Amino acid sequence: MAKGIRDKVAIIGMGCSRFGERWDCGPEELILEAFKEALADAGITRDEIEMAWLGLFYQEQSAGKSALPLSLSLRLNNIPVTRVENMCATGTEALRGAVYAVAAGACDIALAVGVEKLKDTGYAGLPERTKGTFDDLWLPNATAPGAFAQLASAYAAKHRLDMQDLKRAMAHISVKSHANGALNPKAHLRRTITEEEALNAGMVAYPLGLMDCCGVSDGAACAIVTSVEKAREMGLKDLVTVKAMQLAPSNGFEMSNTGWDGSYLHTTRVAARRAYAEAGVTDPRREINMMEVHDCFSVTELVVMEDLGISPEGGAIKDVMDGVFDRDGQVPCQVDGGLKCFGHPIGASGLRMAYEMYLQLLGRAGDRQLGNPSLGLTHNLGGHPFRNVASVSLFGLYSA
Amino acid sequence: MAYGILSFGAYVPTLRIPRKAIAEAMVWAAPSLKGLAKGERAFANWDEDSITLAVEAARDCLREVAQRPDQIQLASTTLPFADRSNSGVVADALLCPERTTTEDLGGSRRAATSALVRLGLNPGQRSTLLLAADCRDARPASVQEMNYGHGAAALLVGEGEPIALIRGAASWHDDMVDQYRAADTDYDYVLEERWIREEGYNKLVPRAVAAALEEAGLDISEIHRVVFPASSATAKGVAKAIRANPDLFVDPLLANCGDCGVAQPLLVLAHALETAVAGEKILVIGFGQGVDAVVLETTARLTGMQATHGPARYLAQRRACSAYTQFLSLRNRLEVDFGLRAERDNRTSQSAFYRRRKDITGMVGGRCSRCNTLQYPRSQVCVKCGEMDCQQDESLSALQGRVKSYTEDWLAYTPLPPCIYGNVEFPDGANCMLEFTDFAPGEVKVDSTVRMVFRIKDFDPKRHFRRYFWKPAPLAGSGV
Repeated sequence: MAKGIRDKVAIIGMGCSRFGERWDCGPEELILEAFKEALADAGITRDEIEMAWLGLFYQEQSAGKSALPLSLSLRLNNIPVTRVENMCATGTEALRGAVYAVAAGACDIALAVGVEKLKDTGYAGLPERTKGTFDDLWLPNATAPGAFAQLASAYAAKHRLDMQDLKRAMAHISVKSHANGALNPKAHLRRTITEEEALNAGMVAYPLGLMDCCGVSDGAACAIVTSVEKAREMGLKDLVTVKAMQLAPSNGFEMSNTGWDGSYLHTTRVAARRAYAEAGVTDPRREINMMEVHDCFSVTELVVMEDLGISPEGGAIKDVMDGVFDRDGQVPCQVDGGLKCFGHPIGASGLRMAYEMYLQLLGRAGDRQLGNPSLGLTHNLGGHPFRNVASVSLFGLYSA
Repeated sequence: MAYGILSFGAYVPTLRIPRKAIAEAMVWAAPSLKGLAKGERAFANWDEDSITLAVEAARDCLREVAQRPDQIQLASTTLPFADRSNSGVVADALLCPERTTTEDLGGSRRAATSALVRLGLNPGQRSTLLLAADCRDARPASVQEMNYGHGAAALLVGEGEPIALIRGAASWHDDMVDQYRAADTDYDYVLEERWIREEGYNKLVPRAVAAALEEAGLDISEIHRVVFPASSATAKGVAKAIRANPDLFVDPLLANCGDCGVAQPLLVLAHALETAVAGEKILVIGFGQGVDAVVLETTARLTGMQATHGPARYLAQRRACSAYTQFLSLRNRLEVDFGLRAERDNRTSQSAFYRRRKDITGMVGGRCSRCNTLQYPRSQVCVKCGEMDCQQDESLSALQGRVKSYTEDWLAYTPLPPCIYGNVEFPDGANCMLEFTDFAPGEVKVDSTVRMVFRIKDFDPKRHFRRYFWKPAPLAGSGV
């Protein structure tokens, strides 16, 4: 019987570039910026890294295919490098590769890097790809906001909500994330906003206005991992370990069958269930001290609170408005600003979330440091609500 | 069993521009347009062309018809493809079997009436779906821009229980160049109206009419209605020339639809059939480098079909577009800056399309033979029960759907923002994310009922290609 990944692997170093419109940097420079921080943090040399995973989504517009962007950027010593891609879960997938390699005993020290350079396309928003497959013959020319906006229309219909009430809760989420981002020197968007600004912002895809949408950012993040035993040998105390890493891709249920009503994220529920089992969490609302979820749009964060079992079904609006997810709430969410304000360089996002968990667990989060968190959750949702890849991971302090 | 017209149908697109809006926008160039600025004209949305108009008219025609036609003839002067069977696309959209004979007809505004004459003169065993559609654009500030409309009509002709018998038919060829469009140009070149009236209509129409009446063994005094789509001034002259009462001329639909070219005679005929009683003798006249004349006689079978066929419902289902620049843009006459998203390369993988052409053109999904779940797109593994290789072809195109979620996306590129799309649920478990059409912002709601219509999905301007798919639209006659 498999025992899962809980407490087998420790994160011994992390780094994260400043996110934003990095006109000054290409992907190579972003990678290096994050890597240097992680290497110094781990207190090792580059040549002690035995294997590496690179997470990169838009290879066409960004760094290119294969292991090469990472191997070349860091002049790695011909060690095995694997490039992974799983949409917005890409960064977490890079970490999962490194963590599993260490857990398997294939190597002692592994590196995970996620990077995305989105701002060389010449326009705002995510890059468009060339169309030419079967799906393009029938699927709508949807954008990410248009796909996620439908969560709001379906959620409002299911719970018989006035759209204005839902919009107000969505505005609360954005206001909170902007306030958090303002405290984070590496965040893309550092200006606080008011509820009125959020509610009155221009419409992007009904009912999502501009302030319901996360930034399109450049950035990189990185983690160096090793086994708990090796970390001990290295004399490290206060270990942050991986408690769970679970992934659930869609199988067509949401899009091709009437079983799904469009108001929730099916795969997130599946991944959360498995992650809680892997980490031994039985009461997530009480046991989890902080979260970084996939707040690509404000409504996603709201709905995800129910999918993760933090809020009861239909209860997320009340929890949001009660401040449960605010910085000083019961389960602070997006303490670093989230995708909304820290930014969303796709391949880096999962690792950026882990970075915040890591800093908070070690008490190194500066102005935004929470009390004494011991367990944090990260969540990615790659794709669209009707067809996606969800990941749920848990990180905590090692207590053996 | 008898040979004749077995069913009829029509389609007029939803969009209308008031002629006043055109005249006001172009008065600086053509003050005389003010005199024509009455009523409105129908025009095709950006995602409609002669193929899609014809498909809608065909669906109206085949509404209660169980059998698919043996052959399809598609008449138009504005078919989107010069080399790719346009009627073949229509046949696939209508789920016709591969053995269906398909034929594109064009070359003249008489293309449809000439085909009807041919069918009248050569009755046979095989059933024919005769489709007529036109989508003519005109130069800004031209009289044609004011007068033209876009629309389609359909007749099913063959052995069965006809709603109308073809009593007589005749054609008269005459190379009078009253107007023409060269093969490589966009617009018609039209000659002086008075010359066309006096030398064309008044002299040529009587010859074909006389021949058709002779074949029918009828005198003009026995005709109950005349279908001759022309202005009242022209109709008056023709009435005098053929010695018919001008009151028998059917409303040519010019005021509220416009002149739909090849489709107009059959469209006006369909309009006449909406109210005709049994035993009416209808004279149908088509004009253009000659004249076609067909004499029909309605039967009692017509009555049962009148409520659900013909243009009336489509004429009532209208959306006014008063912005002249929007009209120009939707007709691709004005290059609007839609931003970088509009630059996307829409290359079509033809081999991928060919593999799944039924899925795309016929919206054919699969029904699991084990758990009965309908699904689109079909796959080799059932989405519900996981059974492999168990799906039977089944089209969703005739189904009504329920909107589960939707958005109005102002970011996504569409020639008519916002791009409205959403999740639609169909009976027996099917569920798809689809792009909507013919809805305005604020009109789609969760739980709205939609019907599927065949439309252009994307253009590939680089390779001069367009691809088609099905989109949810308001129910016909829903007033939306």
